[in-house]
Amino acid sequence: MATERELDRRPDPDALLAMAGREGRGKLKVFLGAAPGVGKTFAMLSGARRLKAEGIDVVVGLAETHGRSETAALLEGLEQIPRKKIDYRGRTLEEFDIDAALKRKPALIVVDELAHTNAPESRHPKRWQDVEELLDAGLDVWTALNIQHLESLAEVVSRVTGILVRETVPDTILKRADDVILVDITPDELIQRLNEGKVYLPETARRATQNFFTPRNLTALRELALRRTADRVDDQMVEHLRQAAIEGPWDTSDHLLVCFGCDGQAERVVGAGGRLATRLNASWVAAHVATAQAGDNDPAGVKMVDDAFRLAERLGAETVRLSGADPVEELLRYARRENITQIVFARPRRRRFGAPFKTTFAEELLRRARDIPIQLLDASDDDADPGPRLNWARLFRPRWVGLAAAVVAVAAASGIGEVLSLWLRLPNLSMIYLLAVLACAARFGLQSAIAASFLSFGAYNFFFIPPLFTFTVAEPQEWLSLLAFLVVAILTGSLAARVRDQAEAVRQRADAAELLYDFSRKISGAAKLDDALWAAAAQLQKAQGGHVVLLLPEEGELRLASVWPPMEELSAGEMSAARWAFSKREPAGWRTDTLPNLSFQFRPLTTPRGVVGVCGFQPKSALDPISSEDERALTAMIEQTAIAIDRSLLVGEAVRSAALEENEKLRTTLLSSLSHDLRTPLSSITGAVTTLRQLGDRMPPAARNDLLASIEEEAGRLSRFVANLLDMSRLESGAVKVRRDFLDVAEVIRTAVERCKKVFPDMRIETSLAPKLPFIRGDSGLLEQVLFNLLDNAHKYGGETGAVVHARQQGPDVMISVTDEGPGIKPADLQRIFEKFYRGGRADGRKAGTGLGLSICKGLVEAMGGKIEAQSPAVRRRGARLLLRFPAVEVEKERNP
Amino acid sequence: MKTRVLVVDDEAPIQRFLRPALLASGYDVLSAETGAEALRLIATAAPDVIVLDLGLPDMDGKDVLREARKFCASPVIVLSARDREAEKIAALDLGADDYVEKPFAIGEFLARLRTALRHAAPDRAAAPRYEAEGLLVDLERRRVVKDGQTLKLTPKEFDLLTVLVRHAGRVVTHRQILAAVWGPAHADDTQYLRVFVGQLRGKIEANPETPRLIVTEPGIGYRLWTPDDGV
Repeated sequence: MATERELDRRPDPDALLAMAGREGRGKLKVFLGAAPGVGKTFAMLSGARRLKAEGIDVVVGLAETHGRSETAALLEGLEQIPRKKIDYRGRTLEEFDIDAALKRKPALIVVDELAHTNAPESRHPKRWQDVEELLDAGLDVWTALNIQHLESLAEVVSRVTGILVRETVPDTILKRADDVILVDITPDELIQRLNEGKVYLPETARRATQNFFTPRNLTALRELALRRTADRVDDQMVEHLRQAAIEGPWDTSDHLLVCFGCDGQAERVVGAGGRLATRLNASWVAAHVATAQAGDNDPAGVKMVDDAFRLAERLGAETVRLSGADPVEELLRYARRENITQIVFARPRRRRFGAPFKTTFAEELLRRARDIPIQLLDASDDDADPGPRLNWARLFRPRWVGLAAAVVAVAAASGIGEVLSLWLRLPNLSMIYLLAVLACAARFGLQSAIAASFLSFGAYNFFFIPPLFTFTVAEPQEWLSLLAFLVVAILTGSLAARVRDQAEAVRQRADAAELLYDFSRKISGAAKLDDALWAAAAQLQKAQGGHVVLLLPEEGELRLASVWPPMEELSAGEMSAARWAFSKREPAGWRTDTLPNLSFQFRPLTTPRGVVGVCGFQPKSALDPISSEDERALTAMIEQTAIAIDRSLLVGEAVRSAALEENEKLRTTLLSSLSHDLRTPLSSITGAVTTLRQLGDRMPPAARNDLLASIEEEAGRLSRFVANLLDMSRLESGAVKVRRDFLDVAEVIRTAVERCKKVFPDMRIETSLAPKLPFIRGDSGLLEQVLFNLLDNAHKYGGETGAVVHARQQGPDVMISVTDEGPGIKPADLQRIFEKFYRGGRADGRKAGTGLGLSICKGLVEAMGGKIEAQSPAVRRRGARLLLRFPAVEVEKERNP
Repeated sequence: MKTRVLVVDDEAPIQRFLRPALLASGYDVLSAETGAEALRLIATAAPDVIVLDLGLPDMDGKDVLREARKFCASPVIVLSARDREAEKIAALDLGADDYVEKPFAIGEFLARLRTALRHAAPDRAAAPRYEAEGLLVDLERRRVVKDGQTLKLTPKEFDLLTVLVRHAGRVVTHRQILAAVWGPAHADDTQYLRVFVGQLRGKIEANPETPRLIVTEPGIGYRLWTPDDGV
């Protein structure tokens, strides 16, 4: 028991985590007031001056003095960030310059009027979003806020005071604020200050606000402000208790589920639910349950649901969309799984039209949710119900094709009825009209069906109810059958229309699935990054309508990787939205909180490995939000695109690492061959020298001389190797200076042969030079080096028979060849022998040489404008011939062009 | 009869100085340039010691060693480069007696050659004794005396010392020691060895911080110093 208590007394890890999460982020202090004029700015600036005096780096980002000298005096001596001037439709607006503030990066920045709406084309539509960004950047912020601007209270405030609040701030801002200071004066005092002209009010608002500053309103607002601050103090107390692990009845652990439908009440329900949750200090989830109602598929309904979700997120709720064959069951299952303590929803108003025999969702929920308390919100209003109004409006927006079809169908039914009645005595021809109504419903929907019902009603009466061809009815019981017909026609018509709507919805979903399938097939078929990008852009465009761009990071900057259909570069604003989306991993641009005035929306392409790029698209219609169907498809496509890009990047990395590995292998081979080539001569020199020194006096003179000779030879070998290495690195670094002199080929060949004979005295070298060889252009030293290397090779690989050097003119070229009669070069090796560190195998398996000679020759020959190639076999199925070609130069022509 | 040395190396310059050096030191010299030739000579000419370069043109020097060990017990000294550690260890594990890094001075090479030959001599293998720097190890009587005082060694320490003494002057790889002292199952547990070598040094070395008797061959194994190492 004791240990259990011990355990319980540990600080709540969640509370500590939340604290840790705040580190790195700036601290927010909110000066909260009940109404304008209570002195928030004054209090804030006084505080700022005090801190400044204490040596803290305080900067005023923006402060509204409203022309009041007392407040303006406070600003003196405080550093201010100049306001940004924005030209908008001929007017110049002054706004807080967030970029300047971020660049200045003070420890504390004062930004007045948190609820302010920024000028169009600013980065964020609202100032509180600027403040969020400042906090994210690690700056401490002081700001001021009037209680009526708090989102969850805006509606209450407008109901109490009769003033519509347009500028609102999400409750989460205040909730997450590290400090809230209530700036409070009594209503009487405030009214007095107002009368003294100490409170600034804009001219246009003066009359409206006359009604605002009444003792009743001010008292109500003051109560709201006081209560909200008290709630916060409560929260802080609880948090303090949790962090310090003090026991107490502090954990309310209420978890509300606020559900709303897709009618006009959605936002109201969410707002009320949010307030309730705040009051109960409970966490809450906003849920929308998709039912089979047509509203889930019509754009107005979708927009309402989306708006309600957005509001819920701003009010700090989790959101969830539920759907299923049995929505009530889905909701209850979710509630049980998530340990929901209360379900909140709006009191049902009245039964829906066309469903008189069905229980409503609310009734069903009340009946089945036995284990979970349910709270009904009275969200009804005196206003006309906006939900049904929209449906009616939709119904009455004339769709001429459907109406014309109704006329045609009824006319046809009348004609058929007339024809049939010539031969047949039908007791009731109304059946034929019902067919027409059904046809209209099935093909053109509810509007057409209802029009057809009324037309049928008239036509039936006119053509078939005696007296014929009048709208009068002789027999009173005929009225009854006519009215019954009308009711049946409308009911069957509306039912058929609903079936049609559902079928339509299913078709749309199938289309979306088809599109997605097509997309994933195309994109997974793309092997290379470019193909994948192109396929993704084209497919997204097909789904989305406008332009689609894909941006990928390249050397730290986002660059357009794919655009469809082709268009010019993105504007600067669009690029900055794209960068925002990339760096913050949040959507930006159209219909988001960041740069919403753009025509593009940018979304990050995220994968588990991180953000791989940004996808930007123009919506089908700039005015309507994306429907939930489209949104789902779009999200899925963007995800797939991200994965496809990531995959091709991975493939690229794999290829690169394979190349690296190959490179690594080459380097290892190179190192081992280098170490072998350097070590062997060094070993024999060291060995010979130490042998001579230790054992020299015990050796016969011949052996001593041989050791000395071997030292000399090995030193020569070492020096040639080092010279080759140096040549190679000079060639590779481009440090070789190639002279372009006129060369007498025969002379160079003779020099090279002389030199070779000195090094290998036992080697036989034949030369056969054509007379009157033309000059070539080149560097005699380098050409001699090339020939020497070739002769060296011939000596090494050619065996006893020696080498033949031959030179003649062949067409426009001078050709020099060095031929040996050794075992030759394998056909597979003919090209590779010019590669660096490649060594041809010898017949006895021994490797010799450095693998540098021929690649140096190739480099030198090409630097002089010539070509080198190898042929094997050369003579009598043996040997190898190395051919050099240089363009011949006619000296006379060159000299006298 | 003179001691017969077989030099297996494909590099003519190496052969060119080793041959006169060995002749002048009083050995008979046989030369082979390929692995096949070497095996033929080992089988037919019965060399007393083999100097084997590991990089041969026709086959891996280790394969030559493996083949040779099937029918020949003569000591083998491997010639190898400094950066081929794994190769050296593999060769020692395959039964090579020592290695010499290229490039080498002839004096060191000849000393290693003599050590290898002496330990191969049958009369000395029967009752090995080791005496150096005031330390006397008598394996037959299981006695270790340091500066006149008998040392108390644990059985494992004594086994370890036994392995080193039997190979005195030559490298013993970690694997060889571990397999001999702790059994083949522990052939890879080098950390045991570090601990026991540390303990043993504490008992037999004059100054355990700068050990002179048990010499570490980095990455390969240990070698018990013998007076004719000189260094």
